[in-house]
Amino acid sequence: MRRFDAPILENRELSRDYRRIEVEWPPDSGVPRPGAFLTVGVSGTTDPLLRRPFAVSGFDPRLGRASFIFQIRGPATRLLAERRPGTSLDVLGPLGKGFPDPPRGSRPILTGGGIGLGPMLFAARDFRNRAASGGWEAPVLVLGFRTAAQVPDLDFPEGTMICTDDGSTGMKGTAVEAADWAAAGGRYGPEAPPSYYACGPAPMMAALDRLAASRNAPYWAAVEQWMACGVGACMGCAVRLKDGSFARACADGPVFDGSRVDWGSM
Amino acid sequence: MNPDLSVRIGDLVLPNPVGVASGTFGYGSEYESLMDLDSLGALYTKAVTPEPRPGNEVPRIVETPSGMLNSIGLANPGLDAFVRDKLPELRSRRCPVIVNVAGASEGDYLRVLERLEDEVGIAGYEINVSCPNVSHGGLAFGTDTALVERLTARLRGTLRSERPLIVKLSPNVTDIAEVARAAQAGGADAVSCVNTLVGMVIDVDRRRPRLARGTGGLSGPAIRPVGVACVFRVSRAVTIPVIGIGGILEARDALEYLLAGASAVQVGTGLFRSPDTPARVLSGIRDWMVRHQASRVADIPGMLET
Repeated sequence: MRRFDAPILENRELSRDYRRIEVEWPPDSGVPRPGAFLTVGVSGTTDPLLRRPFAVSGFDPRLGRASFIFQIRGPATRLLAERRPGTSLDVLGPLGKGFPDPPRGSRPILTGGGIGLGPMLFAARDFRNRAASGGWEAPVLVLGFRTAAQVPDLDFPEGTMICTDDGSTGMKGTAVEAADWAAAGGRYGPEAPPSYYACGPAPMMAALDRLAASRNAPYWAAVEQWMACGVGACMGCAVRLKDGSFARACADGPVFDGSRVDWGSM
Repeated sequence: MNPDLSVRIGDLVLPNPVGVASGTFGYGSEYESLMDLDSLGALYTKAVTPEPRPGNEVPRIVETPSGMLNSIGLANPGLDAFVRDKLPELRSRRCPVIVNVAGASEGDYLRVLERLEDEVGIAGYEINVSCPNVSHGGLAFGTDTALVERLTARLRGTLRSERPLIVKLSPNVTDIAEVARAAQAGGADAVSCVNTLVGMVIDVDRRRPRLARGTGGLSGPAIRPVGVACVFRVSRAVTIPVIGIGGILEARDALEYLLAGASAVQVGTGLFRSPDTPARVLSGIRDWMVRHQASRVADIPGMLET
């Protein structure tokens, strides 16, 4: 983990709701794994005050580039949307624990709900590139959106299924339904035991927890939580686990064994 | 001119006036790769209570205009785990380590202090009688002058070492100077002020507080003028050193506290924005001292024109 000024290479609108920023990633700044995140200092003034966490959505060690996808939700992300290429971004990272590799022989089913697509895109590309050497099946990436206008303009990896709640593009239905179909063999067979990976809204994460449990499959979940320090010091980003204890999203996660997280508390 | 940056708190000499505030810095290792811990004026640990505390329900933090609310609830692994797992590493630090002590009863504070008196590698104690986020202890002590004086006196009586006893004060009182005087009367070597201000944010769409516990403690630049005023009043009410806390992001902010009467400062929320804040603040204080011909940090409070 390091803090550095990262020159912005691109700040592009991907869809009505999402944008992507790509920055130069200095060679001595560590290697972000899928699931890891970075924090960005968004303003030179005291409002907004805190850094903002974003999951890494892509990393190219050869070109030294990293990207993250964000949604304009308030003043901080509005400021971020206005940042121009050529200027530098105050970046701290990489932070947090990433996704573990899929078990040998399993088919990774990666589910991203809404803005949760960022880390899942990164994981899908990484798992696909390393499938042969790692001994797992080619991953299926399921991305769920409310409507077609949300779907980002991106080159999705092979094996991506898009679904929308209103059926305006892709499959009509939820990402969980699509993930269930994919795990059952779907159009990507041959059948292999699934391993689940996900990032998205709590109800989706909870549904995948039940789905993974019903198939006796591992489930790795990247959580979202409000953060202050981002490095494990302040205990602000706690996540409640089913055993009643708390874990820190920033340092113990953001990737957790999804069967241990108390999704009802999120 | 090379200004003398050292600061005296009781029998303890801090190498410089810029420390990191309890609760914002964990036990130090979290920030190790981002800054030079050895050059800190002091490291104030996360509060230590006798028993482990899981902390409050989530969400625990929310950003506010130029500040943030937290409701962590003194989450910590407890005294035994602190001594076993955290203290060995803290001992290896070259900066003074001041352990923040909290509890739900007088006995809790005494138990922590008694045990820590057997341990080496601790430079001092900061007594947290001002946490607004717990139901028992914390603020309940800090708002009652008689309780503050009695607790401080009992802790003073327990001390076998020369380690300074610093009482951390709450701004959530009618007269903070009176509480400071009580701490001094009880035998405190210094007071630190301020802890967070009680605050609340409501999500009007969901018609519920943004924090699970309802209220939390406000910190950051939003509270700086409150902190500076508290230090100004407290430093004129007591003869022991005052340590200023609240919204320090830049050297100028720290200098406000020093001019108001503080002997040293702590950076807290500023760390979340930028881990290099303590180093930047210290270097700016040094530059200011050269410009204003202050040879010692202790001279700065006397330089305020009123």
